[in-house]
Amino acid sequence: MKHYAMVIDQSRCVGCMACIAACVQENQVPFENFRTRVLEITKGKFPELRTEFRPELCNHCDNAPCVMACPTGASYKREDGIVMIDRDKCVGCKACIAACPYDARYINEEYGFADKCTFCLHRLKKDLEPACVATCIGKSRIFGDLSDRDSEVSRLLAENESRVRLKAAGTKPRVFYIKRYPTKK
Amino acid sequence: MAISRRNFLKCAALTAGGAVLAESPFVRAGAKAVIKKDIRYVPSFCEMCFWRCGLIAKVEGDRLVKLDGNPLHPQSRGRLCAKGQSGMGLLYDKDRLKTPLIRTGKRGDGKYRKASWNEAYSYIAEKLTAIRKKYGPESVALFAHGSGGAYMGNFMEAWGSPNHSHPSYAQCLGAREVAFTLTFGQGPASTAERYDMANSRVMALFGSHLGENMHNSHIQDFVDGLGNGTKLIVIDPRYSTAATKSSMWLPIKPGTDIALILAWINIVIKENWYDHDYIAKYAIGFKELKEAVKNYTPEWAAKKTDLPKHQIVEAIRELGRYKPNVLVHPGRHYSWYGDDTQRGRGLAILNALLGTWGRKGGIWLPPKVNLAKLKKKIKYPKPKRDSLAYGDYPFSSAGITTEVRQATISGKPYPIKAWFVIGTNLMKTMPAPEITKKAIDNLDLVVNIDLMPTDMVMMSDVILPAASYLERHDDLAVVTQKNAGIAIRQPVVKPWKDVKPAWLIANELCAKMGLGKYIEYKTLEEHMREKAKLWNIDYDKLSRVGYIPIPDSYHPYITEKNQPKFDTDSKKIELYSSALDDEDMDPVPRYTHHREPPAGSFRLIYGRSPVQTFSRSINNKWLWELKNDNAVWLNADIARQMGIKNGDKISLINEKGGKSNVGRVKVTERIRKDCVYLIHGFGSTSKRMTMAYGRGIDDTQMMTHYATDPICGTNGLRVNFVKLLKES
Amino acid sequence: MEFTITGANALTYPHLHIWDWRVAIYLFLGGLAGGCMSMAAVANLRPGKDVPKNQACCWRVPMMTPIILAVGMGFLFLDLQVKEHMYRFYMTLQPLSPMSWGSWILVLVFPAMIAFALSTVPESAMDNLKDGMIRNLIIKAQNSMRPLAKLNFLLGILLSIYTGILLSSFMARPLWNSSILPVLFLNSGMSTGAATMILMARRNSIKLFFTKVDIWLIFSEITVLVLLYYGQFTSPEASRESIMPFFTLTSQYFPYFISILTLSIVLPLAIILKFLELSGDHSENLELTFKQKFEMNASAVLVLLGGAIIRFALVYAGQLSKFTGLS
Repeated sequence: MKHYAMVIDQSRCVGCMACIAACVQENQVPFENFRTRVLEITKGKFPELRTEFRPELCNHCDNAPCVMACPTGASYKREDGIVMIDRDKCVGCKACIAACPYDARYINEEYGFADKCTFCLHRLKKDLEPACVATCIGKSRIFGDLSDRDSEVSRLLAENESRVRLKAAGTKPRVFYIKRYPTKK
Repeated sequence: MAISRRNFLKCAALTAGGAVLAESPFVRAGAKAVIKKDIRYVPSFCEMCFWRCGLIAKVEGDRLVKLDGNPLHPQSRGRLCAKGQSGMGLLYDKDRLKTPLIRTGKRGDGKYRKASWNEAYSYIAEKLTAIRKKYGPESVALFAHGSGGAYMGNFMEAWGSPNHSHPSYAQCLGAREVAFTLTFGQGPASTAERYDMANSRVMALFGSHLGENMHNSHIQDFVDGLGNGTKLIVIDPRYSTAATKSSMWLPIKPGTDIALILAWINIVIKENWYDHDYIAKYAIGFKELKEAVKNYTPEWAAKKTDLPKHQIVEAIRELGRYKPNVLVHPGRHYSWYGDDTQRGRGLAILNALLGTWGRKGGIWLPPKVNLAKLKKKIKYPKPKRDSLAYGDYPFSSAGITTEVRQATISGKPYPIKAWFVIGTNLMKTMPAPEITKKAIDNLDLVVNIDLMPTDMVMMSDVILPAASYLERHDDLAVVTQKNAGIAIRQPVVKPWKDVKPAWLIANELCAKMGLGKYIEYKTLEEHMREKAKLWNIDYDKLSRVGYIPIPDSYHPYITEKNQPKFDTDSKKIELYSSALDDEDMDPVPRYTHHREPPAGSFRLIYGRSPVQTFSRSINNKWLWELKNDNAVWLNADIARQMGIKNGDKISLINEKGGKSNVGRVKVTERIRKDCVYLIHGFGSTSKRMTMAYGRGIDDTQMMTHYATDPICGTNGLRVNFVKLLKES
Repeated sequence: MEFTITGANALTYPHLHIWDWRVAIYLFLGGLAGGCMSMAAVANLRPGKDVPKNQACCWRVPMMTPIILAVGMGFLFLDLQVKEHMYRFYMTLQPLSPMSWGSWILVLVFPAMIAFALSTVPESAMDNLKDGMIRNLIIKAQNSMRPLAKLNFLLGILLSIYTGILLSSFMARPLWNSSILPVLFLNSGMSTGAATMILMARRNSIKLFFTKVDIWLIFSEITVLVLLYYGQFTSPEASRESIMPFFTLTSQYFPYFISILTLSIVLPLAIILKFLELSGDHSENLELTFKQKFEMNASAVLVLLGGAIIRFALVYAGQLSKFTGLS
């Protein structure tokens, strides 16, 4: 069984937002809604500064609070790890939005259902990478199968110290971050 | 029935087949209507900016639904930036120009009536004929940017005016081309600059904010370099995106770059970091250079540049240590201080000394392309008067917009009475828009060919709506990455409403003016096919795949057999430029002091957002939602002193007391105290741009004056100071 | 630290705002319905087994309760984004989702509530009732008044607790994510239930009894409320930050500051009024004076007001809180 995961090499992210634009078009995300975002965080005092670029998206948690909170079973976890929403079952109660510590979800205002990143499941089925990964100008987003030990994601996680967001929340995310800052040589 | 975005979703999911249907994220209750539409994939290349990335358009029925990078095309390599991804935002912008418009009110008050193409052409013809009669055909000028410029250029040639001008020259990269041509006999090229960043061991950026300046393959190379361990040195008064990736950030005092460059040249020579064999073999003027820079010590530079001496020395030693696989990035936007050609010369000399031209990790050599030229079937008339667009500068190499503007006001050396503008928003391009307005007042005819009702478009007498890059052919493009190839632009959807491609507009204008004999082709595609045939390229295959490489063009690095050619007077790299000497200009760059902002004022520096192409794309809803404002960067300490908090409302005041829009401030540690920074292109004054109107601050409006490069006539735009006013 | 964010949803940034007054009212009315169930049960159980049937105490409250809950659910319904999928709640039971079993509780309490309400119909009202199904039902229910009252007492508690658990189960929202919250909502539900009894009861003995009960409930409500804030204050950063809106006097947080200020006036004032009132003469036959009635009813209204403020303040403030800011 596949174990999908994303690794984000922050040292390669230049905050160009191509991922967001690609996601919006690929998934027909409504105007002013987003499934992925980019944070730019700067610490320090002039001229001793460091800045982190951090793309964020649904973490497809193995211990997903949104799935637990969903009263109708609309949010569910697939065997390959992708957290999905069955739009037919969603009542738009927004419990999943409250439950998600990553604020990964939004309401599709036109139809009312909760929505979020799907790892571009419809593309995966055609053997294509998620749209954000496919267009990432810095190749900062890397997608793959953790159950395959030779995959690039597996290799990167083996070679690098990785982080997940809000580890203490115990959600077991499947989006991993490596190389938070470029190394000062 | 035109299907909506969301209807499309339903269809896409439903037509994808039963297996997918079962767990498709797209299917909703009640979505039963299955509209079977064919899906086509059409390759073309992008014009959201001018990098011309290969794209593949996914078209559903007659509607464009997705744009992706063409993996074959070396400018995109299968990827598109945010702008490229959002092309449908331009194509389907509800504010787009839909029909020709003729002005009914006063210029600038936005009153127009719809007109047929024939009416519009007749209006233009009448005015042009009158101008020709009274002032001569040369009194018509062209301002052009983008693919369409060439066709209007043809029209100008046929008409008999030599006054073409390009903001990309005087307001952007002109000085670089001149500087590198003076040194190496050729520039680093503009689309796909030949910088081997992916292989650089050490790279220095002078103010080039790569990442914010989002040119697709350029950034891919840049980041690949970072991934490969390039040591990055960034010289910038602002902690730019690129600076965040650097191992050394030199927050230089704005306007003192030449001091640093000269000190570096001096150190390279004194400490023997230069590539001896390379210089001996390919360069001349080393001795004169050595003599000229000997007094520019690191101590001196430290004082001028406000940088610690040890940083200055360390940085250049790092470059020296890894030469020649290093790059002193020549940059792109050059219109800074009016001595820009000399700064470019300095950077060129550094690259020469470190031996980067033709070396891995440096500046690769152009690919070998031997494409025959189509035989011109027509001969344009020779204008009676010389072009005034080049001004009185010894090395100006393209039409200078501000010279045309000046001549329009002064009537000297001869009057300019009509402007054709295509693809450029002059009100946001040329400094001091007040002067532009004054020039426009002197005109008998202003014609704009554009897609959106920009500030400049709303100054025209006649507006001609152009087809977007997704609706038209453009001439075959020769792509010159390390490999060369041919790319095609072709319509991916039918043009909407009553718009026409620029080539057709130019041809129809010719016909209208009785210049039919100068029309080169009936349809552009026929011309393209002819070219393809001449170049031995299968046109039909090209239109299917989008890009066809030219075999054996890859020769990026110097080898025994692959020697560089320098097209200078001496056929060598000119460290000391006798061409400049002949014109009584400094043959080796010299440091000149620029005025500094008085207390309470800040130098205005400006830049780019990775999701916007100047003011061109600010009304695109899919980019608007990513960036619709340009907060002014202000140093945190200064902000504290001024009692300004992050996100406060502020306005800028220029040196003539002119006030900007009210905008927001970004209080940040990421900028020096003596300057403020904002993203160029915002603050649209055109009410017809409903998304962008009035949003953000217009930096161009804050530029009351500009410096002029005495060598090539390009503008210096970073010479303006502003005050910051807190608004309630 | 500086940061910019591109691609945030207005629904979750700069803070969550998914639920508004509709949900606050729903939680309030849900708690109130629970309180009414339990308190009305207490009122009817208290006289003991020897009391002849049909001597129901304050039957108007059990009659009102289903309506209160139905109105509350109406507000919840208003908040649902896909109303036509409402039935999906009842196609499944998601054991880990409080909202799922909550929606089942909401349905299950109705029969119990209505049965109990019927069982409390007094003889006097029966006279006007014609023979028929309803009359038969009432007579049947009257026979099981006590077990129904006990069931209602329990379900009332469950319902009140549920309105709190609905919020407290969200680990992502530190202000809500406290096990004290369901206790607070239970307590508040009960005290508002008691207040309703005071307002609605005709008999002085019942009014007086619930006035006494409410004193204890308000005392414990204040204690639990203080404990909630104290617990948050002594917890990790995100939880501590989560109560700051209540103690920050800026225009942005003004409503929260006012809410805590009002609570700290309203609840003690309700107690004081009750003590004032208890100090009077209360023999069963005596007519209550206007002053006594006013004090009783005013304190009851204050309790209801306090209960509503707590729901509103916590529903809104909870959405300002985040697990942690950025990392």
